[in-house]
Amino acid sequence: MASSAVVAHEIRSEGGFLPWLLAPQRRGPLLVAPALIVLFLMNIFPLLWSFGLSFYNYSAKKRDVPDFVGLRFFERVVTDPVVWERFKTTAIIVSSSVLMQLVVGFLLALLFAKQFPLRRILLMLVLTPMMLSLVAVGVFFKLFYEPTFGLVSQAVAMFTGDRYALLGSPTGAIIGVVIADAWMWSPFVMLLVLAGLVSVPKYLYEAAEIDRTSPWRRFQTITFPYIKSLLLLAVLFRTIETFKLFDVVYILTEGGPGTATETIGVYVYRLAFQYFRTSQSAALAYIILFVVIVLTSLYLYAVNRRAQEVD
Amino acid sequence: MKRSWEGWLHGVSLVALAAGSLMLAPGQANAADITITMAAPDWPPTRFMKEEFDRSFKSASGNNITLEMDYIPWPSFYERVAASLTSGEQKYQMIVTDSQWLGSFVDGGYYKDLTEEIKNDPELTAIMKDLHPALVSAYSTYPNKSPQFIKDNPFPAPDTHYYGFPQFPDTYVTFYRKDLFCNETEAKKFQESFNQKLPCTYEDWQDVDWTVYENIGKHFMRKKGDPLGDGVADDDFFGVSFQAGKSYDFSSMQVNAFIWQNGGEIWDETRQPEAQAEGVVNSDINVKAFEQYLNFIQYMPPVAKTGQADIFVIQDLYMQGKTATTIDWVGLGEPVLDPKTSRVHDKSAFGPAPGVRKEDGTIDRTGNIGGQPFVLTTWNSPEVDAAAIEVVKWWLKPETQKKFAANGGQSGLMSVMADPEYDSLRPWNRAHKEMLDWQRDVWHVPEFFELLTQQQEEFDKAITGQITAQEALDSIARFQQQTLEDAGRIE
Repeated sequence: MASSAVVAHEIRSEGGFLPWLLAPQRRGPLLVAPALIVLFLMNIFPLLWSFGLSFYNYSAKKRDVPDFVGLRFFERVVTDPVVWERFKTTAIIVSSSVLMQLVVGFLLALLFAKQFPLRRILLMLVLTPMMLSLVAVGVFFKLFYEPTFGLVSQAVAMFTGDRYALLGSPTGAIIGVVIADAWMWSPFVMLLVLAGLVSVPKYLYEAAEIDRTSPWRRFQTITFPYIKSLLLLAVLFRTIETFKLFDVVYILTEGGPGTATETIGVYVYRLAFQYFRTSQSAALAYIILFVVIVLTSLYLYAVNRRAQEVD
Repeated sequence: MKRSWEGWLHGVSLVALAAGSLMLAPGQANAADITITMAAPDWPPTRFMKEEFDRSFKSASGNNITLEMDYIPWPSFYERVAASLTSGEQKYQMIVTDSQWLGSFVDGGYYKDLTEEIKNDPELTAIMKDLHPALVSAYSTYPNKSPQFIKDNPFPAPDTHYYGFPQFPDTYVTFYRKDLFCNETEAKKFQESFNQKLPCTYEDWQDVDWTVYENIGKHFMRKKGDPLGDGVADDDFFGVSFQAGKSYDFSSMQVNAFIWQNGGEIWDETRQPEAQAEGVVNSDINVKAFEQYLNFIQYMPPVAKTGQADIFVIQDLYMQGKTATTIDWVGLGEPVLDPKTSRVHDKSAFGPAPGVRKEDGTIDRTGNIGGQPFVLTTWNSPEVDAAAIEVVKWWLKPETQKKFAANGGQSGLMSVMADPEYDSLRPWNRAHKEMLDWQRDVWHVPEFFELLTQQQEEFDKAITGQITAQEALDSIARFQQQTLEDAGRIE
């Protein structure tokens, strides 16, 4: 009551509400306010709301009043074998895809660390996949793998005489998804590693050459220490992103054959928007969020370590 | 002075009365502008509806009624409609809906029960009585009533609630290459190999059962460079195809046909809570029927082995000249005849889908109905409801229905289909009419998407060779029993 009286007095003494609001000491908060409001409405409020829903029995399909059930859905989610099966599938795809991205990205970075004709144009082309939309990449690879007229099948048929259905088996489908994801994101790993490679002082290599050290020794003692943290950063960043993989899988295989490529992201989508088990999907989404937060913390730790190294 | 004061009062009263009556009865004194937004899948049957509405609709009430279509691509249609309804935005006044969604959205309180409106409106009652019973059963009733029940109990059937009207009734028929099936060399080879006649005319196709269809599959498997018809195959060529896709319902629709034709059953929602899933869904008959379905995969384009042979993929492969025949929805027939999209536009003909030959020699062609009804939503004002009913009446007028049928659509009205001209309006009309009598539908209960998704996953595992037919159906039966028991639909 007293503070509102003070504010009212200030407004009067400053000649009205608008001059009071636009006073220099309030301009900073005023400029930040729209962003904060949008952030609250678009991110924080839905997050809190869905977190609240995970403790209630509620389906968005029905108009029933939510019924408080405590931790029932969290318990149901962690004891559901289907959820663990989807986590397992996700782990297989994440580990294979990130490993492939690291290998391909690293090799590309080694290639582009050297100067050669048309390097800039080739670099631009290699970077193109990560700039494409995920949906476009999914459709592109679906056609690529299509067994009747797709390029992969046609190429295999040249040698075997028979069409090849890569997505027809669980292993083949996982390989198909991993290749599509790695194709898109290996350039990202390459960029990070390339940044590390170009930061290595040239005199170190010159000194190593005078000492006649082998290329492998040079890599071990000079190159690798400089790119180590960046590689870790790439691993963490790509792990977090691949863990949430949805678009490419949904378009390429829709989780099939059967459920062989159904990642946890696709399963949350099914729970939420096909089965309309709103509370259960919210509980599962928060468990995934917890996993991602743990990974993000590791990522931040790696970033800090890199900053310390640079300093 | 007194006189002028009274006159002024009188004048004000008249103006107030006139304004009041205008407010109380909009559209009676003056035409009202009413816009109906309809959620519609983006494909020719709904595009035609909009075009024809703009061309020929005239409101009987004199209101200015506009029909706005919100076209949504098929793959995201359910999600978009469900998201709109559940968000409470109340965007749509009418919705083209798959019949399976009825339970879900009726229970959610989104689709309007039209039973009383139909009863109180002789024109609507007449329409309902003229609709094919299979369509009334699948598209309109919830809780669902069987086609036989609707046949035995014309509108208004006891203890029955009606929600929808046919926007586009669809069935699957056989699309075939007449240049190959009516080719003398091919016919001679087929006769030599199987001692059977290669079907060429519509009447021949009326006698095609799954045994003949399998032989067709074997006969037309060709490698690039092999003789085909009067020439050679310019690429690998495949005998047959039907839907075998993991998405949405793109294998269940065809597997159900095999099950019903062989005398098997799916969980019967009309007999809740006595009807069971375990023992029925995985019965020996169903297993045999599903094995029969799986046996055809070897004669289909290799995409079937990936579980991605959905209705659009098999249509496309047929149009690109990769298969001799396909079994697909009538709704996908029009692009087949379009030279811009089809390499076989001038070589295609249509017949009824194959079935199981019974002991008396006749063929059981029971199939799973396709197409969609359209419904009204519960939040419409009485004026909007009245306008929407006008749209229903216009759409189901025989003139409109005939135009629709002449442009690639189908009518659900028996009087329209009885017109001798109907069969010749489009080349698949005769087959569609014949197939319509055999149609049944999958479940309409709110749990349908869970039942369907799990079933599709298990079918897909069997299609891609990961599990056997028995294992797939056992898993489906267990899941359905549990889910439906949890929902209180099985005791």
